Amino acid sequence: MKLLAITSCPTGIAHTYMAAESLQMAAKAMGIEIKVETRGSVGVENEITPQDVKEAHALIIAADTQVDKEQFAGLPIINAPVQEAIKNPKGLIENAINAKKLSNPDEKITEPKAPAKAKQNGLYKHLMTGVSYMIPLVSAGGLIIALSFIFGIEAFKEKGTLAAALMDIGGGAAFALMVPLLAGFIAHSIADRPGLVPGLVGGMLATQIGSGFLGGIIAGFCAGYIALWIRNYVKLPKSLEGLKPVLIIPFFSTLLVGLLMVYVIGTPVKAIMDLMTQTLKGMTSANAGFLGLILGGMMAFDMGGPINKAAYAFGVALLSSSVFEPMAAIMAAGMTPPLGLALATVLAKNKFTLEEQEAGKAASVMGISFITEGAIPFAAADPFRVIPAIVAGSAITGALSMLFNCALRAPHGGIFVLLIPNAVSNLGMYVAAIAIGTIITALLIILLKKSPAK
Amino acid sequence: MNIQELLSASRVKFHLTSNNKLDVINELIDVLNQDGKLSDKDKYTEAVLRREKEFSTGIGMGIAIPHAKDSSVKEAALTLGISKAGIDYEALDGSLAHIFFLIAVPAESNDVHLKVLSYISRKLMHQEIRDRLLSATTYEEILAAFKD
Repeated sequence: MKLLAITSCPTGIAHTYMAAESLQMAAKAMGIEIKVETRGSVGVENEITPQDVKEAHALIIAADTQVDKEQFAGLPIINAPVQEAIKNPKGLIENAINAKKLSNPDEKITEPKAPAKAKQNGLYKHLMTGVSYMIPLVSAGGLIIALSFIFGIEAFKEKGTLAAALMDIGGGAAFALMVPLLAGFIAHSIADRPGLVPGLVGGMLATQIGSGFLGGIIAGFCAGYIALWIRNYVKLPKSLEGLKPVLIIPFFSTLLVGLLMVYVIGTPVKAIMDLMTQTLKGMTSANAGFLGLILGGMMAFDMGGPINKAAYAFGVALLSSSVFEPMAAIMAAGMTPPLGLALATVLAKNKFTLEEQEAGKAASVMGISFITEGAIPFAAADPFRVIPAIVAGSAITGALSMLFNCALRAPHGGIFVLLIPNAVSNLGMYVAAIAIGTIITALLIILLKKSPAK
Repeated sequence: MNIQELLSASRVKFHLTSNNKLDVINELIDVLNQDGKLSDKDKYTEAVLRREKEFSTGIGMGIAIPHAKDSSVKEAALTLGISKAGIDYEALDGSLAHIFFLIAVPAESNDVHLKVLSYISRKLMHQEIRDRLLSATTYEEILAAFKD
């Protein structure tokens, strides 16, 4: 019989290893095979592989930190605080031996699929780790920005007011950290601690070069795999080995990711932005519905990336020439992604994780406030299904808004601007356009999205 | 495995004089501080006590490992104290603690030091090594206990 164990403690200096040793000693005395993964400040050592999971009878988690159980699905798990493994390793092992393998009649049938899925799950797991760290930041930042709109949609422009402070907190700080955090924790998930720094820096650059969250995802994966590669394959003389985690890995991985973001990602991003801006300028006289369709789709495509920014800048520029219809289409299309996702989390709970269902509530508030970013965690977690759905919903909303001749005289504000007399013309039809887009977005998401892996 | 580097002869105290938990923590920190490993003694003490509050590092079997990872530590260092009489350290198993390892790790630490610490932590789980530490009278005997 083979057992698995994971030990981990908050400081990761002593208890993690004492618990591991203690379990190994007890197992040896009892004649049981055990593999103990330690998660301490050095990072993960003696890592449990999918092969181990397949062979094992049960898993002991002796940890005072969070341990993700997803990869151990089907295995009986004995949970205990880390000191329990030090004090009473024998008891834990006995519990593990007596634990019954979860009966799963489907196990054999699904087995052939497992390897392919495991590989895909690797990338997906890293992405989801990044997203799960980002969700609370997006919710907090978005709600604080929405709070500032309560004082009036222009109130934050007055320096020194509470509204301005709220905008600084939500927009200036929280949202500025969003992409770095996403990239940082994707990289952290791939390469442990050495990944965090290049990931954060790469994410920051993704924001600065205007590539939005899609650039951030690229930065996160590059940073993670570069750091991992340096950690595993760059061999140094023993005397320099100590410098690796504090100097060598952070320096080279950050440098590489940084250069990659600035030159390889940054250049095409700027080109896309310029191209989009040019194309839109040429379309001013195009069919109104078609323009709305394009603008709407652009708003939802990369939320904060070059395509979204080009559309938004186009609308704002037209305000100064007293053309108000495209702005209306743009705002409506920027509201439907978070609104549609929020609606989808209510209509089809089984397609979302608990975390996402909670994020859906915050997304609804962000949606009515025209904070498109509320949709980013969902889009980042499942880009190939969510982005087409929200683009379609936003494009239709944008087209409808143009066809209904809705006009908007402010570049932001969401629902708060609708309450101001004369800020929006054709208000009833405008609300209808947003509602239709929201419903279409939600239905498409429910149709496309698969249920999360249990 | 370079244990001397982390645990120098000047940081081994064979006869601790304290008789309660708080005193022994301070006694060990004094040794560490006199050896010039701390930039801010009070801040480090606070970090150690905060860690003790989470749950006692008196892990039983006669061992206590007060520790903190904090920016007030200049470089990773161990301090070893031994009390033949034993001190009540609120141990998990209720026994008195005889062997005290005070662990100081800077906020930014390199892997080599952390690996040595994990090695020592593992060694402490062995009855034979604990017995040898407890009966040691010289620095060399302490080192030998870990190395064999």
